[in-house]
This record gives sequence, structure tokens and C-alpha cells, in this order.
Amino acid sequence: MSDPVSSCTARLQLQEQEIRTLSAEIESLKNPQSLSPSPHLEQLRDENTKLKYRLNILKRNLQAERSHCSKHMMNVNLLLQDVFGDAIRASCPELDDPPLVVTPNQQAKFGDYQCNSAMAMAQMLKAKGIKISPREIAEKIIQNLPENDLIQKTEIAGPGFINVHLKRTFVSKLLSNLLLNGVQPPPLASKKKVVVDFSSPNIAKEMHVGHLRSTIIGDSMCRMFEFLGYDVLRLNHVGDWGTQFGMLIAHLQDKFPDYLTSSPPISDLQAFYKESKKRFDEEEDFKKRAYQCVVRLQSKEPEFIKGWNLICDVSRKEFQRVYNCLDIQIIERGESFYQDMMTEVVKEFEGKGLSQLDEGRRIVFAPGQSVPLTIVKSDGGFTYDTSDLAALRQRLFDEKADIIIYVTDSGQATHFQLVFAAAQMIGWYDPQVTRVEHAGFGVVLGEDKKKFKTRSGDTVRLMDLLDEGLKRSMDKLKDKERDKVLTPEELLKAQRSVAFGCIKYADLSHNRINDYVFSFDKMLDDRGNTAAYLLYALTRIRSITRLANIDEAMLRKAAETTEVLLDHEKEWKLGKCILRFPEILQKVLDDLLLHTLCDFLYELATTFTEFYDSCYCVEKDRQTGEVIKVNMWRMLLCEATATIMAKGFEILGINPVHRM
Amino acid sequence: AQKTKVSENDVKPKKEEVAVNGEPKAEQGKSLMEQLRGEALKFHKTGENYTTEGYVVTPNTMSLLKKHLEFTGGQIRTRFPPEPNGILHIGHAKAINFNFGYAKANDGICFLRYDDTNPEKEEEKYFTAIRDMVEWLGYSPYKVTHASDNFQQLYDLAVDLIRRGHAYVCHQKGQDLKGHNAPPSPWKDRPIEESLVLFERMKKGLYAEGEATLRMKMVMEDGKLDPVAYRIKYTPHHRTGNEWCIYPTYDYTHCLCDSIENITHSLCTKEFQARRSSYYWLVNALDLYCPVQWEYGRLNLTYTVVSKRKIIKLVEAGVVRDWDDPRLFTLTALRRRGFPPEAINNFCARVGVTVSQTTTEPHLLESCVRDVLNDTAPRVMAVLEPLKITIVNLPENSRSDVRVPDFPANEARGSHTVPFTRTIFIEQSDFREVMEKGYKRLTPEQPVGLRHAGYVISVQKVIKDAQGKVVELEVNCCSSDSAEKPKAFIHWVSQPLVCEVRLYERLFLHKNPEDPSEVPNGFLSDINSNSMQVIRSALVDTSVKGAKVLDKFQFERVGYFSLDPDSTEDKLVFNRTVTLKEDPGKI
Repeated sequence: MSDPVSSCTARLQLQEQEIRTLSAEIESLKNPQSLSPSPHLEQLRDENTKLKYRLNILKRNLQAERSHCSKHMMNVNLLLQDVFGDAIRASCPELDDPPLVVTPNQQAKFGDYQCNSAMAMAQMLKAKGIKISPREIAEKIIQNLPENDLIQKTEIAGPGFINVHLKRTFVSKLLSNLLLNGVQPPPLASKKKVVVDFSSPNIAKEMHVGHLRSTIIGDSMCRMFEFLGYDVLRLNHVGDWGTQFGMLIAHLQDKFPDYLTSSPPISDLQAFYKESKKRFDEEEDFKKRAYQCVVRLQSKEPEFIKGWNLICDVSRKEFQRVYNCLDIQIIERGESFYQDMMTEVVKEFEGKGLSQLDEGRRIVFAPGQSVPLTIVKSDGGFTYDTSDLAALRQRLFDEKADIIIYVTDSGQATHFQLVFAAAQMIGWYDPQVTRVEHAGFGVVLGEDKKKFKTRSGDTVRLMDLLDEGLKRSMDKLKDKERDKVLTPEELLKAQRSVAFGCIKYADLSHNRINDYVFSFDKMLDDRGNTAAYLLYALTRIRSITRLANIDEAMLRKAAETTEVLLDHEKEWKLGKCILRFPEILQKVLDDLLLHTLCDFLYELATTFTEFYDSCYCVEKDRQTGEVIKVNMWRMLLCEATATIMAKGFEILGINPVHRM
Repeated sequence: AQKTKVSENDVKPKKEEVAVNGEPKAEQGKSLMEQLRGEALKFHKTGENYTTEGYVVTPNTMSLLKKHLEFTGGQIRTRFPPEPNGILHIGHAKAINFNFGYAKANDGICFLRYDDTNPEKEEEKYFTAIRDMVEWLGYSPYKVTHASDNFQQLYDLAVDLIRRGHAYVCHQKGQDLKGHNAPPSPWKDRPIEESLVLFERMKKGLYAEGEATLRMKMVMEDGKLDPVAYRIKYTPHHRTGNEWCIYPTYDYTHCLCDSIENITHSLCTKEFQARRSSYYWLVNALDLYCPVQWEYGRLNLTYTVVSKRKIIKLVEAGVVRDWDDPRLFTLTALRRRGFPPEAINNFCARVGVTVSQTTTEPHLLESCVRDVLNDTAPRVMAVLEPLKITIVNLPENSRSDVRVPDFPANEARGSHTVPFTRTIFIEQSDFREVMEKGYKRLTPEQPVGLRHAGYVISVQKVIKDAQGKVVELEVNCCSSDSAEKPKAFIHWVSQPLVCEVRLYERLFLHKNPEDPSEVPNGFLSDINSNSMQVIRSALVDTSVKGAKVLDKFQFERVGYFSLDPDSTEDKLVFNRTVTLKEDPGKI
């Protein structure tokens, strides 16, 4: 007993001493004669100066490290931010954390990038009582720009915008690197673990369009993280545990008494579910048995586990058909996986005194949240709150995830907000260190802007939708008489590529937060920002080299020896556009909004068209069609565009074909 | 060559009494070179470093010496390597004198190298002040270099040293390494590859200050284990800016910079003897050209303190005005006091370059100053404590010009004129109302001659104030040709300028103010309260009008004086540089 007493005494003494020091300091502050700051402050200032110095060294080395790995694509925006960051800090040492804004410019006359920090800095200085115009600050920033190899010139525009013109040689060099090394992600400081929880349908229920969105968006996020070099764990958090399994198993026992020895031929699980639900509602005996079954299943009696597995397997097969169509890799780890952990979660909240009883329920109030989480129901059962807390805990501590993302509809936003707040409260993670995020999305609407239903008013089965897509895609190909050009195999490939590519792209190209209107007509249109257009654009670019009789080896040789000239305005525009890929990915990484990537690919395709319309790549004899001259540097630009587009498709989960 | 101990007497010329108007010593300038040549006889010939006792010969030594000789062409190369963190003092003068003097005497070259490896202590003002002083002492460096010029090369060499297995990154804390029996580092035997990676991380800012150092695998003479070569400091450097966050230590930098500059003779004071083996070890560990380190005794002066910290205390306590207060022995103070640089050089030469530590009294330095000033400071007449004299047998408006030679011993060196009128002033001490035996100057009964004027005056009337103090004399004068030769001639002024005169004496009462057995309460308790006396209205003849700061004069029969920078158009301020004789108490 003496130990805690003495340690408490020591703590109290320490606190009292601190109180005395603080009171003394307050007294001395009251005394206007001693204007000299406390020695402690002096010490902290020194420390701060040293830390700033160290930060600068670390940043510089980080930058050096980045540019050393020239194999990797460089984020031009980030490089500019480093350069401007240095200049801004040097121009305004008064500001502790000056704003740093560098954005690409849309209009060529304003240069390639723009730094807009001066205005915000002037505001901040004004608040500190220093009057200085944004233009003056902008001038100072320009004076303080460190030596670099990427900026050609800068100019001040308007109230204090700094327009940045990139060096052509710099852009050209980056393009050559891209051609030689392929699309390499910017270097990653450390390999981080990402858990993406997506798709997550319910066993014994049909997958619907909501699951389609989660599946498409989640898969694309995973692909992006994988490309960037993260260690990604794709988790399918299926609903495989709950009271509904009691009635399903009870019904199974009645309908297929020998289910333990021979697999029951359940083809339509949904019908099976409806039957059992009907009995559950109508037969009192059945209902009782169903409850008993739940208890026996949860106590893991082998017969019941077997029955549960049988039912799950039927659903799994259904799901897998969808995943095969959409080329989705995912690991199933349903709610049942977390069963035992839920008990521990409850214990932990109880043990730390963070939960309370409320009319028989055990609830948890997280700071700043008006609604509590229910972690134990009054009947002793667990809830989604409990299972999601358990899953989060397992992902943080067992999977050691650095980033955890939940891709579900926005309707669950509040639920996840509560779960995250509770997890932070109990100290499972620090949001400064670990990124735990709910990436919500809006609902799918029909073309009538109403909830997406079949004509008869039923929920649309996902498989039916995909089949419809295939059919529409084939119709479109035949309309264009592609069936006459392509071999049957090529035609089939094109059909799948267009159908699933369009479904995915239509989803991804809209801001996921908004509701989205599902329309086959729109997604299959080969004009505008659609997969159809982009897929055609890519095959067309690929065909340019093919028609000029240039093979991969020749392109590679050219990339080594030929400088990518960027003298023509459209060449310059295209070159810069290509190199924006890393900064686009950075943005998507930050906000998880994949439509930015789609917009970029569309912009790249249209920029390419502008380039192709005004710059000859291959000159041919008008009569014979013979190739007279190949402008190799332009072929390289074509190749670079195609490489980036292909990589973009890969991240979006769209599978381009060589011919269509 | 054998290094023999040279005793002080061998090199110190016999000290002679310097007469008030004594002959200048012609051989003075020569003695410096002679002394140096004496020492130089004991030094190795360039390229023959191995002939020096204690020099370490490795299998590479001969080829490295050959290359070194090709580079230098056999020229002697020395360096003066001050840390730019303080003001130079008389002790540094010896280092400057020895390094520059030795090179000069042998047609060699000498570098001024700032050992600026500690960014925390350096200030721009020290750099210019050091250079100023070197130039003031009459030397011009062959080249001004900085240890920091070599930061990149030093870093690369450190990497090389790790690769060769001679250095490692250590994480022992600074406080664990203090004291005598510091425990050996547990990281000494870590793999080379690991140290290479960690050293790079130190450079990239991945450690906090004190979390890692680079240490060399060697034991110093004093038993110190594995001296530190690099430490982390998140402090900008005045020359390299924010480029570095690891800085090399003296032990690591010094010998390598010597080697890089192909120094032939690395001359340093005795304290560095304990670091000679680490010096040789490091350059040899890296297979670089190895200079010869030669230690000489440090010059210590009595009745003063020279350490930066102590001078700061004196300034803060208001004992002295600033770093250049003429009572101090910093070089700026000596300059302000009027010490000519030649005198300081001569002094260094007189003290000589010996192996043993020399403690010298300030009067030796002062005597060197007198020697130089006697030959260079023009004579003028000044009266510090005036007594008014009215010559009654001269007409009211009588005025004549008196020619005064600048150097009475050699009138060919020029002269100036001063007015002579009915009213003149003499020193109060040159008149006594009551005659005393042996007193040769003015009394009511005894006439006295006026220097240069050609007159002898005799007292007619003594005028006193109410307190009985003599305030004026009325005298008759006659030409010295007609009068009997007086027993003495005194100086005087007429129609003089009023000036301020500052008289200095030793700042401390005891010989060794820092020695607790002599001064138990610390050097601040040992201040001589009469160390500065200010006379606000002294009178000086008009010939000094227009003198520039630091112009030096002999005030005849009073002492040597130098014009202080505090002087204004309206009022000149003179510092007494030295008295005419060693003991001003005697008359």
C-alpha cells in the first residue's frame, strides 16, 4: 500500500512546487519593472530556434532524397511547394506557420503554376500589427527563392499572385525519365499499412447497387494505394452474424434434414430467406426454435456452425460472380470474425469506466457526441456499434494499420463518427498519427432521379444489371460495326471492357459524396467524360505509333537519345499535363475523391487531341500513304500520354483493350 | 634534429637602461630575425619531416612527403590559426610573431586560418578584429582561410575514417564522458556499415543534439578515450549558413586543415603537446601528408588577466571601460595605449621562442616600447600640473618663436616652433619654495634654465592664494649666454592648448591576480584603485595641433603619450603610453 501513497505524495509535491513556481511567475509578471522574460521562456525560444533549424535540414534532405530517386515520377507541385516554402519562411520569419499555396494555372498567360500565399500572409501580418502590402510580400518571396532547376521565371500579377513559369528543360527531362522508367510512383517515406473496408454485403441477402458503389470505389482506392506502394489489406466486412441466422438454420433443418451429410441445393437464397422470414413471423414455435438456434450457433455447436457455413457459401458464390465480372480482389472477414473480441471491447470500456448502464443497456458517450453508442443491448446481445469497435480495435492493434478507410454509404456517417470518437476516447489511436476515415457516398438514383428500382418496383439485382450492361455494350459495338473488324475474341474482350469499364467509370467520375444517376445511355456515350470516350482515345493514341511502324524497342531507344522538344504551345501544354499525374494522385490520396483522377484523364485526353490536331506526328505521302517523316519527339509525347492514361485506367480498375 | 631546451638568457639581449634622450638602438630590428634564425636551426628542412623527434613514419610517409615537396617547392609554410571567438591579446602576439616571423625570415608563407568550427561562439566582429591586429602587427597573410572552407572535405574524410575502421558513431551522453575514468563506449565495435549509415543520419538531422557523436578510436596522451570528431549542433554557421548540423571538433579539424594547406611547421603552444599524438594519428590514419607539430612555451604576463571571460567581468564590473581599455593587455588595448607594433614584435623576439613556459613582467614590454618610441616619437613640451609664470622684465606684448628639434639627439630630423611670451607655464613640481639639498630646479634662490628657449629665469616674487598655495611666480629672465649655467633645464609651455591626459598604472596590485594563494578573494578584489588618473586641464604646446589618433609624442621630461580616439576638435586626449624611465617615482 505504501507504494501508491508515496507516489501520490510525490506527485502532489511536484504539483505544489509547480503551483509555487507559477504563482511566482504571475507575481513577477504583475510587477511592471521586470520586463525581462522568464529564463524558461528564453530557454524555450532557444529550443524553438534549434528545432526550426533542424526542421529545415530535415526538409532539405527529404527534398534531396526525393529528387535523387529520379526513377520515380516527381510531384512538380510538391517541388514548387518546397521551393516556395523556403522562400516564404525566409521572407516572413515573423510568421510561425505561413500559408503555402501553389496551384497549377489553367490559363497559359498566367504561367504554369501560381503561388497565392502573399495575400493570406499580408492578412496574418496585419493581425500582428505589421502593415505590408501583398505585392511587397510577393516581391520578397521572389527575392528569397532558393536556387532551383525547375523555375524559368516568375512574375507578380494583380494584388500579389506570383506566376511561375517552369523550365522547359526540366519538364523535358521529367518526360524522358517517365518514358525510360515507366510510371513510377513518387517515393514513399515508409511503407504504411492500409485497411480498406469495402463492398461488405450481407449474407443471405442480394447485393444491390449500393454495394456496387462501395465495391467500385473501394477497389479503386485499393488500387491507388497499391500503386503508391502501400501495403493494402482489402477487407470484406460481410454481415454474417446475427439473429437472422437462427431462423435460417431452423428452416434449413426442417427443409433439408440431412444437410450435414449432403449439401442442400439452395439456388435461390433470397427465396429461402423469404420463406423462413414468413414462418418466423407467423409460427410461434418456429420463432422460439429460431432463437434457440442463435444461442447454439453463438456457442459454436458444430452442427450449427456447419449449417451457418452452408448458408454463407451460397451467398459467397453469388458475390464471387459479381467480383469476377468487376475484377475485384477482396478478403472476406465478416462480423463473425470479431465475435470473441466484442466481449473484450465491452470489458475494456467497462474497466476504464468509459461506459455506463442505461435502462439495462450499456452505453458509451464519446466526447462531443450527443448520441451514445450501445455496446450491449438489454438482452445481453451486441450491436453494430460493438462489432465495429471490435473490428477497429483489431485493425489498429493486430493489423497495425496506419490508415483505415470505410467505404459505405453516407447514411452511416454518424455511426462511424461515434465509433471513431469512442476509439479515440479510449486511446486506441491518435488521429494525428493514424488516419481512420469514413469515405461515404451518395445513393444511386434511376434516370427518373428516384431511388433506383426495376420497372416492377423491385430492388435491381446486381447480376442482372451487369448482364444488361454487357448486352448494351455489345449493341453499341455492333452499331459501330466493330463486329466486322474485330475477331470474335477481340469483340468479346471489347464488350466486357466497355461494359464494366463504363459502369465503374460512371460511378468514379462523379463526386462520391453526391447521389448519382445511373444511366446506361450516358455511360456508353462515346463523347464527353465517359469510359467509352477515354477507351477509344487510348486505342487511337496507341495506333499512332503502330501505324508509323514504330515498335517498343524503337520508342525506348528514342526515349534514351531524343530530347522531348516542347517548343510548340500544344506540346508544352501536353507535357505539363502529363506530369501532373503525381500531384493528382496526391490530391486523391488526401481527399479520397477519385473523380479528380477521372477529370484529369479526361483533360489529358482532350489536351492530347488539341496537340494531335495541331502538331504532325507522322508525315505521310498523300498519294501512297507511305511514311515520309516521323517526328520522334512527338511520338514520345504520344507514348507518354498513353502510359499515363493506361496507369490511370489501372487505378480506376478499367481494363483497356488493344483494339476496339 | 634534436630539440634542445633554449633557456631564456640565451636569446634575451642584455637589458640596458634607456636614457631619456638616449641613442636609438640600431641593432633592434635585426635581433628579431636573428632570434628566429636561432630557433630555425633546430627545425627540419622542408620535406624532411621525419628527422624531427617523435614524428611518426608510416609506409606512405616518404611518397606523401615527396608529393608535398612537389606541391610546396620546398617553401616554408606556417599558419596562425585563431578561433574567431574573442579578442587577441599579448599571448597571441607571440603566435603571430613566431608564425609570420619564421615564414618571413625564411622566404616562406604564412596563412591566417580562422579555426571556425564552433558555430555557437563565432561573431563576425572577431574576424575583422583579428585580421586588423595581424595587419597592425605588420604582417600580411599569404592567404586568409577558414577551417569551414573545408567542411565538405572534412566530412568526406570522416566517412573515409569510418570506412577504414577508425571511427564510429557513439550514443554516450556528454555527461557520461566527463571526468577522468569515463567508461568505454559500448558502441565502439559496431559494424562499419552501421556507423556509415548513422553518420549520414547525423548529417541529415535525424538525431537531436547530444544523441550521437562520431568518435575516433584512439587514446590521447592524457588517457582520454576516443576523442569526439563530430557533434550535432542545430546552429547556423556564419559562413556555411544552414548547410550543416554536424560540426567537426578542434582535435579532428586542426591537423587535417594543416595537412590540406601543406603546412610544414605547425607551431603551437605547450598545452597542445598532449594532442600531438592524436594529431599524427589522425593524418596517418587517413594516409595524408603529416606536418610537424612543434610546441613552444606560452607567453604569460604578470599583473594582468587575458582570458575572455575575465575581461568580460572587468568590463561588466566597470573596472575598465571596454575591451580596449589601455590598462588591459589585449592587442586593441595596447594599440590604443600607444604601443607601437614594432615594440610588440621586439618584445616577442626578446622573450624568445622556448619550450618552457615563460612568465614575463610588463616592464620588459614597456622597455621595448620605450626603445621604439625614443626613436620615433617627436618631442613636444607639455605641463601636466601648471604653475603660471610671468616674466616681468619682458614687455607686455613680447612674443618670439622658439625652435624645438623633434629629436634633440639628431637635429637633422626636423624641428618645430613654439611661441615664447611674457606668460609661460611650468610644472608645479619644478618649483620649490624651500630649497632642499640636491634639488636642482627653481627655488626663490636658485635660477633654472628653460629648455630650447635659451633663457634662464630667477624668481622675483611668489604669489599665493588665501590658503597659502603658490599660484603664480613673477620672474626675471636673462639670456643663457649671459647668465651663469643653471643646474638644470626644465620644460615649459606658452600660449598652450588645453588637453586631457590619462595616466595609467598597473591594473592589479599583485603579480598573479588569478592565483588564489596570492589573491584569495579573486582577481576582482585586486584592482589597483590608482590605475588610471585623469588630468582634465593639462597644457601642451601648440605643435601637437592637428595630430591624428594614435600619433605618439614624447612629452619632454614627462613620458611618452599617444592621442586617444576620444579626442575631439576642441579637446585632445592623450594616453600615457609609458613613462620615460622604468620607475617614475624617482626624480
